[in-house]
Amino acid sequence: MNLGTRKILDRSFTAVGFGSIAVMGIALLIVLVPIITNGIGSVFFTGTIEHRNMLFNEFGRGNREELAKENAASEVYRKQIYGMLSAFEAELETMDSEKKQDYLSKYGPVKTALQTLIGPLPGEAEAILTRYKYGQTRWGKAEEKLHEFLYETRWDNSNPDAMAKEYFVSQATEFEGTSLVKLFPFVEEHLEDVLRPRFTVYWGFLTDSSVDSHIFGGIWPEIQGTFFLAVGAMLFAFPLGVIAAIYFTEYAREGFFNSILRSANSTLAGVPSIVFGLFGLAFFINTLKVSESKSVLAGSLTLAIMILPTIIRAAEEAILSVPKTYKEASLSLGSTKWNTIMTVILPAALPGIITGGVISLGRAAGETAPIIFTAAVSVGSAIGLADVFSSPTPALSWNIYNLASEHEAAAEIRHVQYGMVLALVSIVLMLNLSAILLRARISKKLKG
Amino acid sequence: MMSEDNLKESGRSGAFIVSAQKRKMQKLAKTGGESILLLIASFVAIVVLFIFYFVAVDAVPYFQLRGFREFFTSSNWYPADEPGEFGALAIIYGSGMVTLGSTLLSVPMGIAAAICLSDILPFSVRQYAKPVIEMLAAIPSVAFGFFALVIFAPLLQTHGGPILMWAWWILAAPFLLLAVIILSDLLTAKIENQNRRQQISLVLLAVFGVGALAFLYWVGSVLQGMEIITGTNALNVSIILSFMALPTIVSVSEDALQAVGRDLREGSYALGATRAETIVKTVLPAASSGILAAVILGVMRALGETMVVWMASGNSSHIPEPWFNYLEAVRTLTATIAGDMGEADQVTGSARYHVLFAMGLLLLVISFICNLVSERIVVRQRKILSGQ
Repeated sequence: MNLGTRKILDRSFTAVGFGSIAVMGIALLIVLVPIITNGIGSVFFTGTIEHRNMLFNEFGRGNREELAKENAASEVYRKQIYGMLSAFEAELETMDSEKKQDYLSKYGPVKTALQTLIGPLPGEAEAILTRYKYGQTRWGKAEEKLHEFLYETRWDNSNPDAMAKEYFVSQATEFEGTSLVKLFPFVEEHLEDVLRPRFTVYWGFLTDSSVDSHIFGGIWPEIQGTFFLAVGAMLFAFPLGVIAAIYFTEYAREGFFNSILRSANSTLAGVPSIVFGLFGLAFFINTLKVSESKSVLAGSLTLAIMILPTIIRAAEEAILSVPKTYKEASLSLGSTKWNTIMTVILPAALPGIITGGVISLGRAAGETAPIIFTAAVSVGSAIGLADVFSSPTPALSWNIYNLASEHEAAAEIRHVQYGMVLALVSIVLMLNLSAILLRARISKKLKG
Repeated sequence: MMSEDNLKESGRSGAFIVSAQKRKMQKLAKTGGESILLLIASFVAIVVLFIFYFVAVDAVPYFQLRGFREFFTSSNWYPADEPGEFGALAIIYGSGMVTLGSTLLSVPMGIAAAICLSDILPFSVRQYAKPVIEMLAAIPSVAFGFFALVIFAPLLQTHGGPILMWAWWILAAPFLLLAVIILSDLLTAKIENQNRRQQISLVLLAVFGVGALAFLYWVGSVLQGMEIITGTNALNVSIILSFMALPTIVSVSEDALQAVGRDLREGSYALGATRAETIVKTVLPAASSGILAAVILGVMRALGETMVVWMASGNSSHIPEPWFNYLEAVRTLTATIAGDMGEADQVTGSARYHVLFAMGLLLLVISFICNLVSERIVVRQRKILSGQ
């Protein structure tokens, strides 16, 4: 081959390598950036008066007088809207029955859209579900709902070969010639006066429990559940893992039995996570009956089994990286083997062992599949420490799935989902980052 | 331990004066302690046995009830019907499909990245590249699933054609250009005259280049015209799974490449090989078994993943038409187990409950075999490289 071609090949080979690493970095950014930017929106957003009313009524937070003043200011415009509605309703009565029927069928959706926008209208029965007691709490969402209120969505099916196209019809034209026509431009113009948007920092998102299955409120029960599950798993797995690692590194003799144990370790590391869930269900709940049904205990045990191989490996590596001279010095001073392990090797290996433990903690916090059948419920309040033996808990990982895929209003509460994902990802990444920093310090120290 | 009396009698630190009985006790304690350690260490093996046993015990009733044939040969999955149908062929196929798709995407990229990390990047840069990979590995699967479902699927559905076209151009254009250069070089290699060779080479380059461009453009426009019915499909899942499998593949193959050692590389450089030639012809063959083990581990990661496929694969139990159509929704073993257990749970003892354990057993057996194979490969490579 030509020397020039060989050079080009060599360069492009390098480029492919760089490209692959760049792709990974970009993939990480593409996944993380929307999660972070949207997730932050669950705490920092432009909240409406409905949000402040909700906080005051459901959580008793906020200044009563200020809120009353604001509500009064909002009421001025609300009154006018309500007035237009009742004027139109009176006008309906004067129409002939056919026309009335026609307008009534169009008027229903308009009223519902208005209700979701600014909250319950006067003269309606008190809603049972909390979600119907308030209008839009977030200004961004309110603007979307305003569009739904102003325009009717229709689908153009005229071309049978292509997918149906979406188009909008202005509601105002539908009510041409009636008194309701004025309502639409009025709401459009004065929505800000009605809802009074203001920049809001809602830290309660992290510390409040949810109201009406996550339509309002925060994600504290999930955060706490994740914490219980992950810490519970560590309580079981960490001591076991470290002791097993001590055995493998200091006591095990090469042989058939030892190689089987090592094989078992890597087999356990390779078991699909959902199979751990099956095992947890069949063994901990159906056979051992550690609890009646799902419980934090059963979930923690299942997670513990899952992270055990990781902990063993990390601890083994940490122990092996302790210089041999430490051990020899201790033994030559007359200390026993066990004494040497406890007083010399383990303290030296401790940072490494903790690094592995921290990474495993993150893994336990992030896993979903093993807790589906053993510990997780979709809705529930935060549980007390005493209940961990008997009751299941909501957890971040499971509820992200549940809210995104199974919640009846999944599209309405994207901000909650993003907030949960950001909370989970930042917990896990923070743990990993601290592990990375810890490791960097260790390697610096070992270098001297 | 020395008692107070003993110490007084000897009048000095009595560490070396131990009665026979005490020595016996010490020995007993030592063996006792060691056996406790052994017991804890073998806990892992016991757990593995238990997992196999308890999954199998709940899987066997299904096969007793329905036999093997339906499960592996039929693709009618109607577990809720009375009587239910439990044909898992389409589901097994779906699992295979997304696993294959993610492997095809992640293996070339993973190996290239591993080579870059071990041979090309200077150490200072490598330090920053590694945390990126670790972070990619640390992101919980449900976060990836959420991304696939909420962000990627709608994007694929609305702008699927252009996305595919851009991906095609970005991925294929450099490689085709390279292929054109090599081809024109190889075809003119026999010509002795320098000047003539360069001229012909240039002409060939132009001809092939235009052909390659036309090909690129043609495939690109076909891809752009594609209409994607649903964003939650096998392609979506394959792409996301490949990102999840990447860290495993990169770190294991990097270890394998590092294990090859400097001698082989330096030998190759001394013979005048470029870096690319050294890596492709010398280092990669030497590290091939380790890389194979990395690929197997990556496959296992994709096969065993639950949340992403459950959320974003569409969960439709049928074999796509035609069989390689990655733009259709599929359903996988893991997603079926996760999704159907909720309804099956209430009737423990029915075929509907036990068929899910049968699927779990299938996954378990496959991952066990994969693991065994990869372990063997790694052990063999270590032996070969250490020269035994």
